[in-house]
Amino acid sequence: MNIKGSPWKAGSLLLLLVSNLLLCQNVAPLPVCPGGAARCQVTLRDLFDRAVVLSHYIHNLSSEMFSEFDKRYTHGRGFITRAINSCHTSSLPTPEDKEQAQQINQKDFLSLIVSILRSWNEPLYHLVTEVRGMEEAPEAILSKAVEIEEQTKRLLEGMELIVSQVHPETKENEIYPVWTGLPSLQMADEESRLSAYYNLLHCLRRDSHKIDNYLKLLKCRIIHNNNC
Amino acid sequence: MKENVISATVVTLLLFLNTCLLNGQLPPGKPEIFKCRSPNKETFTCWWRPGTDGGLPTNYSLTYHREGETLMHECPDYITGGPNSCHFGKQYTSMWRTYIMMVNATNQMGSSFSDELYVDVTYIVQPDPPLELTVEVKQPEDRKPYLWMKWSPPTLIDLKTGWFTLLYEIRLKPEKAAEWETHFAGQQTEFKILSLHPGQKYLVQVRCKPDHGYWSAWSPATFIQIPSDFIMNDTTVWISVAVLSAVICLIIVWAVALKGYSMVTCIFPPVPGPKIKGFDAHLLEKGKSEELLSALGCQDFPPTSDYEDLLVEYLEVDDSEDQHLMSAHSKEHPSQGMKPTYLDPDTDSGRGSCDSPSLLSEKCEEPQANPSTFYDPEVIEKPENPETTHTWDPQCISMEGKIPYFHAGGSKCSTWPLIQHNPRSSYHNITDVCELAVGPADAPATLLDEAGKDALKSSQTIKSREEGKAAQQREVDSFHSKTDQDTPWLLPQEKTPFGSAKPLDYVEIHKVNKDGALSLLPKQRENSGQPEKPRAPENSKEYAKVSGVMDNNILVLVPDPHAKNVACFEESAKEAPPSLEQNQAEKDLANFTATPSKCRIQLGGLDYLDPACFTHSFH
Repeated sequence: MNIKGSPWKAGSLLLLLVSNLLLCQNVAPLPVCPGGAARCQVTLRDLFDRAVVLSHYIHNLSSEMFSEFDKRYTHGRGFITRAINSCHTSSLPTPEDKEQAQQINQKDFLSLIVSILRSWNEPLYHLVTEVRGMEEAPEAILSKAVEIEEQTKRLLEGMELIVSQVHPETKENEIYPVWTGLPSLQMADEESRLSAYYNLLHCLRRDSHKIDNYLKLLKCRIIHNNNC
Repeated sequence: MKENVISATVVTLLLFLNTCLLNGQLPPGKPEIFKCRSPNKETFTCWWRPGTDGGLPTNYSLTYHREGETLMHECPDYITGGPNSCHFGKQYTSMWRTYIMMVNATNQMGSSFSDELYVDVTYIVQPDPPLELTVEVKQPEDRKPYLWMKWSPPTLIDLKTGWFTLLYEIRLKPEKAAEWETHFAGQQTEFKILSLHPGQKYLVQVRCKPDHGYWSAWSPATFIQIPSDFIMNDTTVWISVAVLSAVICLIIVWAVALKGYSMVTCIFPPVPGPKIKGFDAHLLEKGKSEELLSALGCQDFPPTSDYEDLLVEYLEVDDSEDQHLMSAHSKEHPSQGMKPTYLDPDTDSGRGSCDSPSLLSEKCEEPQANPSTFYDPEVIEKPENPETTHTWDPQCISMEGKIPYFHAGGSKCSTWPLIQHNPRSSYHNITDVCELAVGPADAPATLLDEAGKDALKSSQTIKSREEGKAAQQREVDSFHSKTDQDTPWLLPQEKTPFGSAKPLDYVEIHKVNKDGALSLLPKQRENSGQPEKPRAPENSKEYAKVSGVMDNNILVLVPDPHAKNVACFEESAKEAPPSLEQNQAEKDLANFTATPSKCRIQLGGLDYLDPACFTHSFH
């Protein structure tokens, strides 16, 4: 009977709807509050935890992407020799060991990380575009590139939030190293083109590891007071 | 000539080689750097494999330069790492920078260089195994026993500043088992194992890895003996629970078997079907709940009265000496203040087929065939001005002060059978049966549609005036069809003073007096027998229009000004001089014809007035 069935149907539909809404809330990533530092309810600890998770993930992806590329296209052909001094971020004064890292002050350290992240926006964009435009584009590499580009943007947002909380007085410093490797990605000579891709992925792997390590350092320094 | 030189050279070389081989001295073979590792990201060590031995003491040297530098360096420490190794201390180690290194093997006979190795410390991180693994069996009193293991990170690794991040993994197995049970422990340095075989000896190991790097080797195994009295309390509880639930199930099955059906009915009582009389399931299916409710004749559901109460009540007017109203009662219903009556079952009087309960569901779906409308108890319960009741001629007895009626002038009285409500609308039409005291016994009655009836009621009962108008139209049409079919409408036959075997008759508007009240005449069914019929209708259609409402309960009717539908003012010989009243009626007509235009609704030549207009205009 319709009269009997309709309250049950309505109730079950309502239950499904409510449960879906609740589940959707759980699935969605924790939003980093956008309204500005003054109203932010997300703690600094949460922001750092989130940033570390993202940087760790990005490096894993970069490492896998490099391995797959090398295995497929360039293994044993000595491309590493041409990758020396090929990273566009080498001009940044990044610390290279623990002692140097501990000597940098917090503010500079954070702005350094942000500069590296900003400098990778454009190369990642072109990487995705060029790989996508390849004939027989390697799906594994393309998907990772897309994911890295996406996550890097989110990490940058998170870093900017952290900066606004830790150093609100920091003026936006938009200076970052510029990548100029696009023409080499589009070269006709296959050897040169492969070398350009190799260098790009090699530098990406390295810089993502740098960022991951720096953030873990800063997290222990700022949140746990060097007592992780 | 040339051949001689060549052959001489070859012989010389062969002799030299022979000499060397006999001596066992060769330049060293090509060495190879096969492994570089950093245990803490602060130092690293590289190991090489020497090439073939030249038979002579060979010196190895490792030279390197770093990315972005041109200066060549030599290995700072050949000892710490063991033989054929190069150890780079803290001051020589840089992360995120490629080292290009090479080993040179030299002996008296010559030297050979290894291939260049490109090393980035970032990707060669492998820690030492964790230390101090301790395992013990813990048996707290109120909880289950477990195996508790604890370890510490390897030395020289800086976890506190976050420079290094370690992840751990443990594994264990009974001594004689073949496969290990492995568990990932994350960044914690302790672990609990719950499921163990009592009385067995277990081996436990732990290893670690950096966040990005290689797993360490497994730590040395630690042995632990599980005591034999390692009780698994779970099983006892589960056994008792299983037994208890089995017993309960048996009891339930036994009870059901014994009581059988009665128990089932006790748990799942049968669903009662609707037993409301007048309840049309078909209307339910169609979803026309409004019609359904109206079919029940009440605004509030469920109806409180029986079907018989909803029937049209007819009050008979006895205009003989008795002058009393007799009503046929089916049931007493004092709350409504009126007594329902049965219509004469013998005649298909204008009750419509909806009268009989058995036919209700079938016939009430087509109200066009049945001009009857259900009685609305609300109408009855609407408080009426009781005084008006008493203005009636004492010959007439109206319903107990609850029914709107026409005020007829003179010695007229009218009783108002409350006709059944049209199921398609809540519009209530009241047929008034007005019998003149002097009317002939066999005079028929005229059906008067009272559009103004709604004006008397509260507006709540009017659901749709357009529907009402349409219904009115249908009722009128059906009325005509009925008249054509010679079916009288109103009067109950058996108690009428006009004749017990008579069909219901119609009442015609006789005249309208100066108060706007109607005087009614029974209508002649056949156009014969009545000497005076000054204005016989061209067709049998006669209508009275409600032109106004007076005193909140008196309808003012006017004859329809349209030629076709002119109400017939018939004069009876017994009446007072009709001419005077007729003139008066004409005057009244003139007065009331100017109705507000908006109140007029043209329906197929019939001019109806919206009763709502009158409620506003007259009050």
